[in-house]
Amino acid sequence: MKSKKNFDWKTLLLGNKSYLLVAFITIVTGVLVGVGVITKRTPIITPDLLTQIAYTMIMVVSLNLVVGFLGELSLGHAGFMYIGAYVAGLTLYYTHSLIPFGLLRFLIAMLLGGLAAMLFGFIVGLPALRLRGDYLAIVTLAFGEIVRGVLKNITVGDMIKNPAVGFNIKDLTTSYSKYLFLIAFILVIVTIFCVQNIAKSKHGRAITAIKDNEIAARSMGVNITYYKLIVFAIAAFFAGVAGAIFANYTTVAPAIFDYNYSIEFLVMVVLGGMGSVFGSLISSIIIVFLNVQLRSLLTGNLAGLKNLVYALILIIMMIINASPKFVTLREKMNWSYVKSKLQSKKEKS
Amino acid sequence: MKKTLVRILTLCMCLVLASTALVACGKKNDTYVIGATGPLTGSAASYGLSVQKGANLAIKEINAAGGLNGVNFSFEMIDDEASGDKVTDAYNTLMSKGMVAAIGSVTSGSCLTFAAQSKEDNLFFITPSASTDDAIANSNGYRICFGDPDQGMYAAKALTTEFNKIGVIYNTDDAYSTGLLKGFEDEMAAQNKDNYVKKSFSDTTKTNFSTQVSDLKAAGCDVIFLPIYYQEASLIIAEAASQNYSVAFYGCDGMDGIVKHVADNDALSEQIKGLKYLAPIDVESSDAKIKSFVDAYKAEYNGEIPDQFAADAYDAIYVIYEAMKAAEVDDVNIDPSDLCDKITAVLQGEFKYVGVTGTMTWDEKGAAVKQPVTIVID
Amino acid sequence: MSIISTLINGLSMGAVYALIALGYTMVYGIAKMLNFAHGDVIMVGSYVLFVFTMKSIKNPFLAILLAILFCVILGVLVECIAYRPLRGAPSLAVLITAIGVSFLLQSVAQLIFTVTPKQVTMFQFNSIEFNGLTIKTESIITLVVGMIVMIALTVFVNKSKTGRAMLAVSEDRGAAQLMGINVNRTIVITFAIGSALAAVASVFMLFIAPVTDPTLGAMPGIKAFVAAVLGGIGSIPGAMIGGVILGIVEQFALKYEFLASYSDAIVFAILILVLLVKPSGILGKKRHEKV
Repeated sequence: MKSKKNFDWKTLLLGNKSYLLVAFITIVTGVLVGVGVITKRTPIITPDLLTQIAYTMIMVVSLNLVVGFLGELSLGHAGFMYIGAYVAGLTLYYTHSLIPFGLLRFLIAMLLGGLAAMLFGFIVGLPALRLRGDYLAIVTLAFGEIVRGVLKNITVGDMIKNPAVGFNIKDLTTSYSKYLFLIAFILVIVTIFCVQNIAKSKHGRAITAIKDNEIAARSMGVNITYYKLIVFAIAAFFAGVAGAIFANYTTVAPAIFDYNYSIEFLVMVVLGGMGSVFGSLISSIIIVFLNVQLRSLLTGNLAGLKNLVYALILIIMMIINASPKFVTLREKMNWSYVKSKLQSKKEKS
Repeated sequence: MKKTLVRILTLCMCLVLASTALVACGKKNDTYVIGATGPLTGSAASYGLSVQKGANLAIKEINAAGGLNGVNFSFEMIDDEASGDKVTDAYNTLMSKGMVAAIGSVTSGSCLTFAAQSKEDNLFFITPSASTDDAIANSNGYRICFGDPDQGMYAAKALTTEFNKIGVIYNTDDAYSTGLLKGFEDEMAAQNKDNYVKKSFSDTTKTNFSTQVSDLKAAGCDVIFLPIYYQEASLIIAEAASQNYSVAFYGCDGMDGIVKHVADNDALSEQIKGLKYLAPIDVESSDAKIKSFVDAYKAEYNGEIPDQFAADAYDAIYVIYEAMKAAEVDDVNIDPSDLCDKITAVLQGEFKYVGVTGTMTWDEKGAAVKQPVTIVID
Repeated sequence: MSIISTLINGLSMGAVYALIALGYTMVYGIAKMLNFAHGDVIMVGSYVLFVFTMKSIKNPFLAILLAILFCVILGVLVECIAYRPLRGAPSLAVLITAIGVSFLLQSVAQLIFTVTPKQVTMFQFNSIEFNGLTIKTESIITLVVGMIVMIALTVFVNKSKTGRAMLAVSEDRGAAQLMGINVNRTIVITFAIGSALAAVASVFMLFIAPVTDPTLGAMPGIKAFVAAVLGGIGSIPGAMIGGVILGIVEQFALKYEFLASYSDAIVFAILILVLLVKPSGILGKKRHEKV
């Protein structure tokens, strides 16, 4: 008999398809970039695309914690990402001459970005104690827009001379920019580890209880205040981390982080399945990939087609996935259902 | 379950990689590929589409004339939705399509990313319309249009000599607008003048200008400086007219296209008369080069009149072509970095380009040195 | 004096927001969904007005009628094709579908009319000079028509049979069904009314700025969403109050330059403050959750 205290690392890491997926991508692409099969100029897959997939994964998994596990609608996740990107960008810019090691600089910037976002996540979590459902959704949306509305007015020394243009600090990241996607994927694994551990722990059960029935959970002695704030703060922290990767990857400007960007992440959460980490990872890969490919395939006035395709996919996916009629239909089409029917027929005969 | 998953994943990965390798190996250039990114969807899409049309026209003309030593040019443009983060991938896709030089990005924020991405490759780009100075900070970045601060400065100089009190309405969300305003304010500060009133709007309040205009009217401004694009400017002019406020208007190159924009609106077409603006091109000019460009553009695109974005893009393509000709480039598989060194050497030398947006040379930062035309709508 | 003109301007802007917010709030109250595509119905309305005032017919009154008709048909179609199959599905799935519909309408508009903004001039108005104060006729018309529509709507909902059916469905769908109310029909009527209001709003949007492009509806849509929540989503007078507050706050923020560049942030900050004090909006009903 195994004792319960004996922490089973093997099952934890290998018995889980999310880790397998990300570890697989990390190792394979790491090797391929290392030997030079994947470069900036290869079609379809580039290190930059991988970085983009990685930070999107972090965003979607952390948003899933709020939407899927806690059951609160958030339309301001990009706002936390912006705070993370902004703070990390400032940190990288001003520590560039102070700290000699690129990776150390990145870690410090990432932590500061994450913590700043976490602080704001905590602040946004406060109204969540009083508000529910769509009212909370609009507060998160408002928060994201306030972040943009304030930061677009602030100039910072030589770094941000025209805040509407934003800043790009790619020049300062040359020492590790080639392997930024590897760092990003390792951070994805860290995110999955934290989110899944929260979900599977007793805390996770408390959070699920809040989602299912807040009043019942409260009467069972679940500290709702504590859990809601914790979930918002943790999700915001990881959004900040994703933002820090973003700041290393491309230009950070107020126009990027609008509510449409938050909605994009929400779409990925819903397509991947509420509360499913693995689904979030898969939907991040598919949607990022689809977006990039459609953008480069459809140009000119045809560019409008890209949104048309995207819109149709959204509507059809939603109707097939969530419509009560289709759900029963799918259950009937299920192989095991058919098999059980056949079996019952056999038994009858 | 686990094993199947791993197998499926491996299979997918192998397929993708195999196709990648095949495409990568099979690709040999037979044209000089010029790349660009710009907004083709969203609210800024009309700028990107104009750039695409202007560039395609230039490419078509060059190819019709035999290309460069018999080698044709081709133009690839990818939608970036005027958003800087979309450019990173777009740039890589362009590189995988064999881009050797580029006309950068259409909007300032996007071009910042383009500059950062292209620095490592040392890929030459000359942006038609990204006017922020940061976009051409690297040695491989050049531009055709005027810089924001320069235009703001010109405007301040022109306005202070002519008018007593200047009203300004700018867009706080638009990098072009805030850049121009900064140039304007710096020049006003240098002149020690503060006879101006600032009013602003944002992307979410860009339809109703009643409050701003009535305040400028109350403040007694005799001119309104509009460091913005023509869509909003036409609304401000209409608003002033409906408030019976007779005031002069002064704009920058963002005003270009306003006549076409309001052509269907008779009252507004009347009201914009007298608007003065700095522009790179006067499409009604009798200059032979401009005339032939405008005629060719109209013939190509169903009688559409080109705007400054189209004209700047047209020039940008020709600058690359002329510079390559001057540098005697004859290898279709030339490395972008070598090509960049050759082109920049030409542009920094005695090279002078006579285009539809004026006669220009380039300073050591890569900014075009040329004279703006002041256009008065009549 | 300039404060009064800002106030009038804010009121007429608020009337437009209120009209759009009414569509949001009614659909929310009855179908329990955030119809993110509502703003884009305005855009469609403005293109119908464009076609029938600038291209053919060239009669603005007829064009307005056609725009209302077209929007109503569109709203009903969207309800039947995209939203009805999702009745009973999780609310998030409906929200994403609505976002999909919004993208769909925008991209179809781009494919048909391209992104070039189109001028739509319907009427020519002269301003009224009054004691050194210039009042625009459009503002007055917007205000008056907005008031009439809102009063008519309130009377309709409270007095007519269909209106009371709507109230019943919004109160308790299951119970309403048991009482013999055709829920699907009531929801379709709600969408039809909301879309008609959006068409009217598109006329007023074109009064303010006589141009349309495929993204015309996105901004007023989100503003109206804010207005609806501010007033208490689901409440008809709440939508009106929310819209008017939003319009006035926004115009006064734009009036003072030190606030102007923060105008968006101010609008949203006020929203958050109001919700912190009254978690269900100004006139929203506090729902007691059943255990």
